Amino acid sequence: MRDIKLDTSTDPQVGFRPPGSLDGEPLAPFAGRFSTRSAAHLLRRAGFGGTAGEVTRTASLGMEAAVDSLLHASGDDLAFPDYPPSDVLYNVNGGIARSGTQTWWLDRMLRTKRPLVEKMTLFWHGHFATSIDKVPAALMAEQIDLFRAQGMGNFRTLLASVSVDPAMSVWLDNHYNTKAHPNENYAREVMELFALGLGNYTEDDVKNAARAFTGWTYNNKTQQVTFNPKLHDDGVKTFLGRTGAFGLQDVIAIIVSQPVHQRFIARALLEYFVYSDPEPELIEGVARTYALGGYDIAKTMGTILRSNVFYSTRAYRAIPKSPIEFTIGLLRYAGTAQIPPNLGYALRRMGQEPLAPPSVKGWDGGPAWINTNTLLARFNYVNALAAQAPPRADAPNIQPDAIVAQAGFDAPRVVEAIVGAALQDDVTRDVRETIVGYLTQSDAVGSVPFGPENYQQKIRGAVALTLNLPVNQLN
Amino acid sequence: MTNRRSFLSSSLGIAVLGGTMPLAFMRAAAAQSLPALGTSIDPRNVLVVIQMSGGNDGLNTVVPYSDDAYHRVRPVIGVAPNTVLKLDDRIGLNPALASLMELYKEGRVALVQGVGYPNPNRSHFEATQIWETASPDRPTQSGWLGRYLDRTYPANVKPPSMFEAVALGDTLPTALVAQHVDVPAIGSIGGYAYNTIKDAKTSAGALYDGAKPGQSPYLEMIADTARNAYHGGDALRAKIAGYTTKATYPNDTFSNQLKLAAQLIGSNAGTRIVFVSIGSFDTHANQRVQQDRLLKMMGDGLAAFYADLAAHQIDKNVLAMTFSEFGRRVTQNASNGTDHGTAMPLFVIGGAVKCGVYGDHPSLTDLDNGDLKFHTDFRTVYATVLKNWLGHDPADVLAGSYQTLPLV
Repeated sequence: MRDIKLDTSTDPQVGFRPPGSLDGEPLAPFAGRFSTRSAAHLLRRAGFGGTAGEVTRTASLGMEAAVDSLLHASGDDLAFPDYPPSDVLYNVNGGIARSGTQTWWLDRMLRTKRPLVEKMTLFWHGHFATSIDKVPAALMAEQIDLFRAQGMGNFRTLLASVSVDPAMSVWLDNHYNTKAHPNENYAREVMELFALGLGNYTEDDVKNAARAFTGWTYNNKTQQVTFNPKLHDDGVKTFLGRTGAFGLQDVIAIIVSQPVHQRFIARALLEYFVYSDPEPELIEGVARTYALGGYDIAKTMGTILRSNVFYSTRAYRAIPKSPIEFTIGLLRYAGTAQIPPNLGYALRRMGQEPLAPPSVKGWDGGPAWINTNTLLARFNYVNALAAQAPPRADAPNIQPDAIVAQAGFDAPRVVEAIVGAALQDDVTRDVRETIVGYLTQSDAVGSVPFGPENYQQKIRGAVALTLNLPVNQLN
Repeated sequence: MTNRRSFLSSSLGIAVLGGTMPLAFMRAAAAQSLPALGTSIDPRNVLVVIQMSGGNDGLNTVVPYSDDAYHRVRPVIGVAPNTVLKLDDRIGLNPALASLMELYKEGRVALVQGVGYPNPNRSHFEATQIWETASPDRPTQSGWLGRYLDRTYPANVKPPSMFEAVALGDTLPTALVAQHVDVPAIGSIGGYAYNTIKDAKTSAGALYDGAKPGQSPYLEMIADTARNAYHGGDALRAKIAGYTTKATYPNDTFSNQLKLAAQLIGSNAGTRIVFVSIGSFDTHANQRVQQDRLLKMMGDGLAAFYADLAAHQIDKNVLAMTFSEFGRRVTQNASNGTDHGTAMPLFVIGGAVKCGVYGDHPSLTDLDNGDLKFHTDFRTVYATVLKNWLGHDPADVLAGSYQTLPLV
């Protein structure tokens, strides 16, 4: 797949992929060659990327086995704590609770052997966007655990769990929603942002769903949500054309049975894992898989990750990396053993502080990740990492001795090694030549050719130049 | 919109200022609408938005010192009448705002009282989002200034300067989140830089400048932004190199930011929108120490800023406005602080401002669950600066239509 041509015929910035523009069977299992490029693509999308060694190992498995290993991670994961330490979680200093809880989660993204589970957890965090700016850290941690436990399961179950989740209850005021004083906030977001999309329900549907959701109260002392029948409106409601004395579970059952809901989830998964503005036929196809599979997320993800369209040129390097994908991918690539203490702050500057989405709509994502500030923050993060990372035997991708051991002091071979490992060689010839030039030429500001005396610094420079190429901003 | 007294013309206001009468003048009404768009708007006009983050206590900022109710609800933290900087026989400024009072006496300050919005939110996060997006009812990603920029510069139109709008701080505030326009967030002059391993910098520039589009749909946009990020710091330093600061600023973060704002504005960097922040005004305990310190910092910084601008003869083209996510409860709490409340005053400052007090002080006895009632929607103030200062149709930026105040 060295001669891969990237499709530029449809520009997601401008817009829409028209019906009929997809060839063949987009959702049939991919039958092409599963190259290192394909394997790296799978690891970036269904996880947080990996080292060159992990890419090679994944490629050698073949597509089916590689996807299976992500979907059904059979080996034991490392032992991760279910919660951050209580002196962090309940620290009177809110800043400590905040950054400690972020680090607790980021560490799991970095080291987990089940990257797809953690990627889905991040997906649902953006989907059911809840913020530590309003919600206590302990409840945020519990909500992340919920996404991890149920995020690959049945969406109907997940939505029901989220609806009585303490963090969500506080975040969208459902604990104020009572028979006497219905509060529509949560019911509205369920329909607009979580499950149906604007235009697929009426204001009366919102009112009636809010009535069905009444009675689930949050107790500040126990930090739990329980059902209080006295506060529940058990009257007859009409919701999305159906009539009955509906409660929370009934409303959710009606929602997931709607074809518009099935397309809503299909679109959300496609935009996150495949590309923006997916074709209507593609949405329809994934929606069918989702509905036939009984709203099972793992089954739906399996279809997506095995599909022709997932491995197509249209999907390749087609999504701007989120800041979390970018930094965790970088730290995994560098073989970093633990989350650097400043990562939460760096992510804030990059526009995606974990546990703190800007609103219930989550992060816009896509091209909105990229602006001068966020890109400068990414560039400088890479530059600092390349300059300061301690030489580690198990971090061969950025370790100057390991690279020289592989390529000697031959600049073109050094660049080939770095660009191949970091970017699967997705660069043009003049980019390679510019980096070779950096290693071999002298210039006015003191650059000298690399050799045994200065290779430590020069190779770090070449690694930084490579990791800061525009193409490395794309998943 | 009750409790408004009739509007005195600005010329009368200035005449009063110049005379010997006390500073009891100019309670302005919001009803007046200023000249049509496009007339007499100077294209060099600059808007500086100052966020007083944390929720500033309005009652101890603009003090209703002659109201017994005030002293009843603020027995410990109330501002003593003999220390208040009197604006008229009923209200005056906290003495920590002495520098702001000087600007007021020079005719450069408009005080807008009782600002808020219906169904006020008491969460810092949500209330800040409401003020910055100007969208109380629905969560919206874009900021009100971001939408102004997007409407002014649609998808294919680049602003003439990469510093058209600037956030002074490490992260972009929601107010400046735009879809098309790339707004730099500048924490400090030195910190806004591409910091690479030293001898790799030239090659990095070559890679961005030589980046070719076409490999992937987003590559061109990313490469274009990368060039801005790479060159932005050097461009900033080159732009402001010729500017001489002509005032002595206090040495704190807020004043340093205003100093940089003056450098940008005065050196023709093309800057029209600046956002700065000061805080935290979240004074739940021992309020006087913290709030007075911050008010003094704000007033002193603004005084230096306008002295600097005046020395460069550009003070008439720079309008600063303050906001805070909410005011605080009327009654002090058990910790000699105040908890999250509702309506508050805000200041609009500048050489072109029609100095005076706009709107009555909210009543301390006619309360809503113990909170002040607002009478001026904050979007009225936004509409005023959009229309009368930036020459932009407010309806294009704010959902719905709002009256404007005759303060500029």
